[in-house]
Amino acid sequence: MDELLNILNEINPDIDYMTETNLIDGKMIDSFSIFKLIDDICETFDIDIGPKWMRNENFNSVHAMWDMIQAIQNEDE
Amino acid sequence: MLITSLQFLLFVFGAMILFYLVPKKIQWMILLAASIAFYVSVNVWGIFLVLVTASTIYGSALWIESIRKKQKSYFKENKELLSREEKALIKEKNNKKRRRILVTTLVLNFGILCVFKYLHFALEQVNLVISVFGGSVIEDRINLIMPLGISFYTFQSTGYLIDVYWENCKPQKNYFKTLLFVSFFPQITQGPISDYTKLSNELFSEHKLSYENFVNGFERMLWGFAKKMVIADYISSMVGSLFENYSNYTGISAFIGTFFYSVQIYADFSGYMDIMCGVCEMFGIRLTENFKQPYFSKSIAEYWRRWHITLGEWFKKYVYYPIGMSRLSKKIGQKTKDKFGKFVGQTIPPTIALIVVWFVTGLWHGASWAYIVWGGVNGLFIIFSMWMEPVYAKVKSALKICDTSRLWQAFQVLRTFVLVTLIKVFPEVGSLSGGLKLWKHIFSNHRIPASLSELLPFVDDISIPFLIVASLTGFLFIHSLVERKRDFRTLFHKLPFAVRIAALTVLFIIIAYIGIPAASEGGFLYANF
Repeated sequence: MDELLNILNEINPDIDYMTETNLIDGKMIDSFSIFKLIDDICETFDIDIGPKWMRNENFNSVHAMWDMIQAIQNEDE
Repeated sequence: MLITSLQFLLFVFGAMILFYLVPKKIQWMILLAASIAFYVSVNVWGIFLVLVTASTIYGSALWIESIRKKQKSYFKENKELLSREEKALIKEKNNKKRRRILVTTLVLNFGILCVFKYLHFALEQVNLVISVFGGSVIEDRINLIMPLGISFYTFQSTGYLIDVYWENCKPQKNYFKTLLFVSFFPQITQGPISDYTKLSNELFSEHKLSYENFVNGFERMLWGFAKKMVIADYISSMVGSLFENYSNYTGISAFIGTFFYSVQIYADFSGYMDIMCGVCEMFGIRLTENFKQPYFSKSIAEYWRRWHITLGEWFKKYVYYPIGMSRLSKKIGQKTKDKFGKFVGQTIPPTIALIVVWFVTGLWHGASWAYIVWGGVNGLFIIFSMWMEPVYAKVKSALKICDTSRLWQAFQVLRTFVLVTLIKVFPEVGSLSGGLKLWKHIFSNHRIPASLSELLPFVDDISIPFLIVASLTGFLFIHSLVERKRDFRTLFHKLPFAVRIAALTVLFIIIAYIGIPAASEGGFLYANF
């Protein structure tokens, strides 16, 4: 989780990621930044995020992102 | 059946009476019957193409799901017997099969759309190439009438199928429910392009007649009629005159005229959405909103998140992300990252995706080079801003510009509105060369108009109807301004009942006095897309 928070803080350090649940719907992360976010997540966690995971609810909070990462890791296994 | 006709209103109220009279479990059937009747009344033969889309999407969605289900139960039954490698092999084989079904169905449906929408344009391009080489051109004898709403229902249906393929939603088992999802009458002609999960929840749940829904829906519908029939239709003749005669006007007059077009298209398209959202609300159904005060956007990218929202969302979900996240984009991104650093490497994939998205967006709006260039210009601004973001940040910090400063925000809004307007009128003159000529005229003719009539030559006369339309446009501006922070409806409903009734009566009289004579002149602008 700390690694994910580091990635997010690099994109925008002014957000309290532990409590924010509206990152995409609230336009705090736009459709350009999300590519940076995905690139860093894929590199750090050694996963491949396909377009089917590109739903707002998967990126609206750090917890949702964490759940998605784990789901992809389980799927790969 | 014109949306702005009495016939349409009678049709809606007739369908609504039946909708609330039948048992709630079969309310969706009334919507289906109304949708088919509406479509047939406008475009009899087009209904066969709607049926083709609904049938192929329905069948393919079930087929894709059945492969997934079979695989799941096979894995469950043979949990102990299958090795990881064997499982991966089966998965790959099934995924290929599912992809083949998806691609075939998409090719078929987009193929139909392309035939009806782009065949003439394609033939023109072929003839252009032939004539360059001195050959004899192919005569265009194709006489196809574009089926009503084909661009909208094709996008909505294919989006649903891709969602089933991505396992984002379960397929609909009832064919007639799929047909309703494809053909739902309030949205088939101009959208919104709805997400299956959201719309199906609305369409197939049970609805109780409610005074609140009815009043809210009716008010919104009336406001939509006013926007379309009073503002958009009244201004349309002025805009038509601008596009025909701009070369006789001064540059400043043509420039002002382009803003009339901005008002017209907004009132036209958002007016349609208000009518249909209002109609749906009276049925207890909530449609996805398609506008969110677009002319108050601070950048072109933001504007496209607020204008025709559902089309933008469709492109983002089914074109932008898949292309930006494709193996090829990632590979190019990785190579450029190694060579030029993280920022370049991470900006390349969205850039590739944006180029494709804006080319397709241009084509979606119209089969002409003018629209392709229009899409290209929009894309160029967005891509340029994305690449220049670090530079902008440095400049802003050097000039001590604060993003929260009201003055700075007002400048951004004004700048975006002017840019959007100039880009918007480009394809509307009728051709690529016409659009370029208009731009050139605006910026090269510096003659100062001698009088108000020379400044606004497309305005015949400052008459009472003109003043009423101007006042209503002013109200539209205030309405949008309020909606940025607060819900206008809530504020309106806080007014005394008598005041509300008086306001609605005035609106109704304005529609009858100005709107009804003006409305007979034409349909909706976005219906042509």
